[in-house]
Amino acid sequence: MISAFFIFNAKGEVLISRLFRHDIKRSVADLFRVHVIADSSNKSPITTLGATSFLHVRHENLYVVAVTRGNANAALVFEYLYRFVTLCRQYFGLLDDSTVKANFVLIYELLDEVVDFGLPQSTDHQTLSLYITTESIRSERAVLEDAKQITLQATGAISWRRPDIRYRKNEAFVDVIEGVNLLMSTKGTILRSDVSGQILMRAYLSGMPECKLGINDRLLLDRDAHPGGAERAVAERQRRGQGSGGVELDDVQFHQCVRLGRFDSDRTISFVPPDGEFELMRYRTTDSISLPFRVTPHFSQSSTTSAEYRVHVRSMFSPKVFAQNVVVKVPTPTNTANVKVVVGGGKAKYVGAENCVVWKIARFPGATDLVLTFSCELSHTTAGKSGKAWSRPPISMDFQVLMYTASGLLVRFLKVFEKGSYESVKWVRYMTKAASYQIRF
Amino acid sequence: MSTAMRGLTTFIADLRNCRAKEQEEKRINKELANIRSKFKEGSLNGYQKRKYVCKLLYIYILGYEVEFGHVEAISLISSSKYSEKQVGYLACTLLLGENSEMIRLVINSIRKDLEDSNEINVCLALHCIANVGAREMAESLAIDVERVMVASSRAFVRKKAALTLLRLFRKHGDLMPVLDWVDQICPLIADENLGVATSVASLLTAFSQQYSDQYSKVVPRAIEKLYKIVIDRDFSPDYVYYKVPAPWLQVKILRLLQYYPPPIEGSHVRNKLTSAVNAIITNSLDIPKNPQHSNAQNAVLFEAINMAIELDPESPTVVMAAELLGKFISSKETNVRFLALETMCHLAGMSDLGLDDIKKQQDVILQSLKDRDISVRRRALDLLYSMCDSSNAKVIVAELLKFLPIAEHAIKEEVALKVAILAEKWAEEYSWFLDVVISLIGVGGDYVGDDVWYRVVQIVINNEDLQEYAAKTVIHSLRSPTCHETNVKVGGYVLGEFGHLVANLPGCSPIEQFTILHSKFANVSLPTRALLLTTYLKMVNLFPEIKGEIVKVFQQWSGVLDVELQQRACEYLAITQMPTDDLLQTVCDEMPPFPERESALITRLHKKILDTEDKRTWAIGGKDVNREIRQRTQRKRALSSSAPPSADAPLLPGLGTPPAAAPKTSNNNDLLGLGGLDGLIAKPVAAPPNPSSSIPVAPIEAFYNKLVLGTNGVLYEDGNLQVGLKTEYQSHMGRIALYIGNKTQSNISAFTIELRSVPALRFNLVQPISANVIPPQTQFQQMYTCEANGVFSDPPLLTLNYTINGASFRHDLKVPVTANKFFEGISLGSQDFFNRWRQIGGPPRESQIIFKNPGPIDLDATKQVLTGLRWQILDGVDPSPNNFVAAGILSTVAAGKVGCLLRLEPNMDQQMFRLTLRSTNELATETLKGLIQTYLTTAV
Repeated sequence: MISAFFIFNAKGEVLISRLFRHDIKRSVADLFRVHVIADSSNKSPITTLGATSFLHVRHENLYVVAVTRGNANAALVFEYLYRFVTLCRQYFGLLDDSTVKANFVLIYELLDEVVDFGLPQSTDHQTLSLYITTESIRSERAVLEDAKQITLQATGAISWRRPDIRYRKNEAFVDVIEGVNLLMSTKGTILRSDVSGQILMRAYLSGMPECKLGINDRLLLDRDAHPGGAERAVAERQRRGQGSGGVELDDVQFHQCVRLGRFDSDRTISFVPPDGEFELMRYRTTDSISLPFRVTPHFSQSSTTSAEYRVHVRSMFSPKVFAQNVVVKVPTPTNTANVKVVVGGGKAKYVGAENCVVWKIARFPGATDLVLTFSCELSHTTAGKSGKAWSRPPISMDFQVLMYTASGLLVRFLKVFEKGSYESVKWVRYMTKAASYQIRF
Repeated sequence: MSTAMRGLTTFIADLRNCRAKEQEEKRINKELANIRSKFKEGSLNGYQKRKYVCKLLYIYILGYEVEFGHVEAISLISSSKYSEKQVGYLACTLLLGENSEMIRLVINSIRKDLEDSNEINVCLALHCIANVGAREMAESLAIDVERVMVASSRAFVRKKAALTLLRLFRKHGDLMPVLDWVDQICPLIADENLGVATSVASLLTAFSQQYSDQYSKVVPRAIEKLYKIVIDRDFSPDYVYYKVPAPWLQVKILRLLQYYPPPIEGSHVRNKLTSAVNAIITNSLDIPKNPQHSNAQNAVLFEAINMAIELDPESPTVVMAAELLGKFISSKETNVRFLALETMCHLAGMSDLGLDDIKKQQDVILQSLKDRDISVRRRALDLLYSMCDSSNAKVIVAELLKFLPIAEHAIKEEVALKVAILAEKWAEEYSWFLDVVISLIGVGGDYVGDDVWYRVVQIVINNEDLQEYAAKTVIHSLRSPTCHETNVKVGGYVLGEFGHLVANLPGCSPIEQFTILHSKFANVSLPTRALLLTTYLKMVNLFPEIKGEIVKVFQQWSGVLDVELQQRACEYLAITQMPTDDLLQTVCDEMPPFPERESALITRLHKKILDTEDKRTWAIGGKDVNREIRQRTQRKRALSSSAPPSADAPLLPGLGTPPAAAPKTSNNNDLLGLGGLDGLIAKPVAAPPNPSSSIPVAPIEAFYNKLVLGTNGVLYEDGNLQVGLKTEYQSHMGRIALYIGNKTQSNISAFTIELRSVPALRFNLVQPISANVIPPQTQFQQMYTCEANGVFSDPPLLTLNYTINGASFRHDLKVPVTANKFFEGISLGSQDFFNRWRQIGGPPRESQIIFKNPGPIDLDATKQVLTGLRWQILDGVDPSPNNFVAAGILSTVAAGKVGCLLRLEPNMDQQMFRLTLRSTNELATETLKGLIQTYLTTAV
């Protein structure tokens, strides 16, 4: 499995280095630095040099690297690396160069817990926080008492929850957050569009509550409508053209607390939630996505010294909701000298550092149009002759729309069953964000 | 105004503080945007411009592309302030590559600075020229640089100019009128200032390697200078380096002199040189303690020894030197050991007396093979190779064989090759040679090239007495458990030929021979297996008793996947199964002896010697090699000195021209080397034509046609004069150089050239002929640039008028500037081609013609015509291989770029062509069609 674990900063300095097995020397770090960090042409997350494979993920200018010399399961290693990053963020709030340096003792401690002889172990923050604490040193007896609990919890059926939680007010918050990916061609055809969403939950519930979450999963809705079987349901749906208002989820991934057996048999999401905030599920869908914005750019380069842009943005969601923090970045030619901007709403200005015009709209109401026009004055260059034309990167967009889901996903219910049968309050929020929202022109 | 440029300092500080690459990129993009807007606004003062250019340079140095601001940078060059000019030149050297088009813009400013009275500006200009070293600079500024070098009053300027010239010469030697400068440059080596003399000595060394005869004038002056330094001790104290006066200059002069034959015995110059060299060698007999001092002294000494060897290999000085070298090869200093071995190598190749001395040192040299430093080991190897003769061959070869397994990979192959050559060359009995090579193959393995075993086989076949011994030896070597594949090859060949000679010896019976070979069969590569199959066939012939075993092998291998092996097995099987053995016997008849030829090994060894720096005046190898080289150069010298009186500066190679008549006008471009022309002009000398004949040697039309398809050649030639043409085209622009050579012994006077162009072509006279008189045996040139405005069908006309010996002549010539010159082939895929073909559509943009070829159609010739007309032939577009599909772009100013597509379908039986042409311009279609048809039907 994993033979070594490193964290590098962007300069290639080793911040954390831990060897788990003896088939590797500490100096392999140099190999990674030379072949991955220093080699800008190498963009692959996996680099195999000889029999040694380096698997890395990047996070905030850090390289988190696992090294293996065997035929390790790459998916597992990457999952572990991401988990480790998440874990560190849960501990430190942020994982970057300085936090790693400030907390290196804790990181080594964590590493020793989450990996054993190169085999990933529990990476659950709830459990780990019981015995790897950031607080001051506690008394011997308290530690001893806790130790019993740790064993109980780490080996018990529900390792993610302590049994003795009590709240005066029982509340549960559900956030549905969706990221929209879009790539649109110059001709306005959609080359790629999908939504990756996550359902985050914050549970402040007493005891060992059993929760059930209902969403408008199309398969489930169809089956409810046609108890005869899924095939018939699909056929029926095709016959009717459009579904029953449900969402077809391409793939879903659950938190370990969700009972997968129940989900497989009757697609109910039932679980005993961990205490506090956690990610309940992740999903992806590509079917019938309603794009929140439609962008129609016009670009013309009348001569070698000037270029004109006209970018038309229309919000496609209902007038009842609005988008916040909308940012449209329109790339300009690399030899732009001056830009004159005329804008219909919001603020726009040329940012030389990024070679683009940045248009910011703080509040964008639904079903409205805004137009940005500007002209660039270009300076003479020698680039055209050497054959390297401007690559014309796509226009990118960033936004947040509250109480709106691009996929159409809705939470139908959240039920809480507990022996104490207390009343609980549930809150649901929806938000759609831009992930990679790009329009070529 | 402040010169501190605070903006630049903060910018650099910002970049230094960037933690990540992305941050740095952002900061740089921001700065670039700022500079762009500043440059766009214009109206910047010199200081600001300098600041921004400095920022751009810093960005460039960090590795980012800087694609603008070149114009601003160049404009700084013409500033009057030193600080601004300096930055301008810096930008010019950094940002402009030698192929940049911007170079043209700076040439004038540079020229102005070269002529400037302020020597600092001259130096800046010289630095820029030397650093960029662009072709255009060499073309247009070399003469100015030379003038600076000769005329400047400041020594440091002269020095820099000499070095600049050296750099230009090394890069674009072909463009410089080096031969015109003999009289100006040669005296400079005697310059008062030793620094100038040193730089000039380097320059002259470079010139002498290429034009040694023409620059021979430098010899007496160089000797004089050396004498002054060494004997008269006349030098400025600044140039004494650790008690050695001007060591670099001494070394350079000595090296320079080695390119020339030693001055005539007994002459004054010779005596001076000899005494100088002797003095250097005697002065160096004791080695100083200070390493720097000894380094300087040794540098001069080694070069002096080399010189002494060249002067007279058998003189007592050389013997003394040889003794000295003997001391040096066991020196502690690696560099000294290296140089001593190298010089010994030179000595061994030239001198008999010296060789005896070297032989005394043999043990030390053999020890040097195990030196710590690889370059020393290489030199030792070279020396051993050079000093080897019949008396010490056995020892040296044995030592080298011992050395081979421990040698580096880099020189293993060379060692192996040298062992093979020495063994062959000095073998007194062939059996020794064979033993050596067999063990060489055993030891060297993969490092022994194929040539070696080819040579063994040749020698074995050519020497009857060796054959039996050879067969015995190979069987023995094949028996060894670690038998190399090359040994199997030799074994296979030798046993196949001469196996019968040893068949009666114990352990060598036919079946044993076969088994021992076949036991190796499975472990060798395919070509060797093929060779073994042939051996087996020969064995069938030699020993019919083992036919059964062998046929089995053939049968087994007749089904193998490799084609070569299968074919051999099948054929051999068929031969063995024929009713009679007649064919088998004929096929397997004994090999005839090889014709005696030079060993391929030596040729290969010489190929390996590549010199990166100054050419060597001698070759590694024994005396015979050097003697041969010597004779060759002497023969060459004799040839050139038998040419008319002063062969110093023949402008037309092969023809002597009195230096007085050498006109200034025929400058560097003569050396552009009208390759073909030189030969053509030289020819009439052998068979002098009737001086007044003005009948062209070939039809004008033929010259013309050739030039339409080619770029350089003769446009016209008769008994009086020859007109050559050199052209260069790029998109719609062209450059044309006309060379007019007078072939007669009298002046051509009242010479005029008139060029009448067609409207669509614009000519521009760049460099006119200065005089209207052309002296005999001289070549003048005139240069034009031209530009195609539109499509044209008629070529421009050239009228030459001249008078020779009172008779006037007039020639009207067509100049081969045709539409196809502005044409460039493009390659297209099949899909692209047909898309465009359809886009252009039918008549009037399409034109088709069917015409008959005068003779049978030659497809290769057709192809040549099309490529000559600058079409790009597209393979694989038309399914029929005979049909041609081609594409290209015609560039003109008015019509822009016209894409042209062509299909040419030859009918081989009918001797007909069908030509279909489509282009976006009707006139272009017609013109190109006409051209293609004409040149397909005319044999050129």
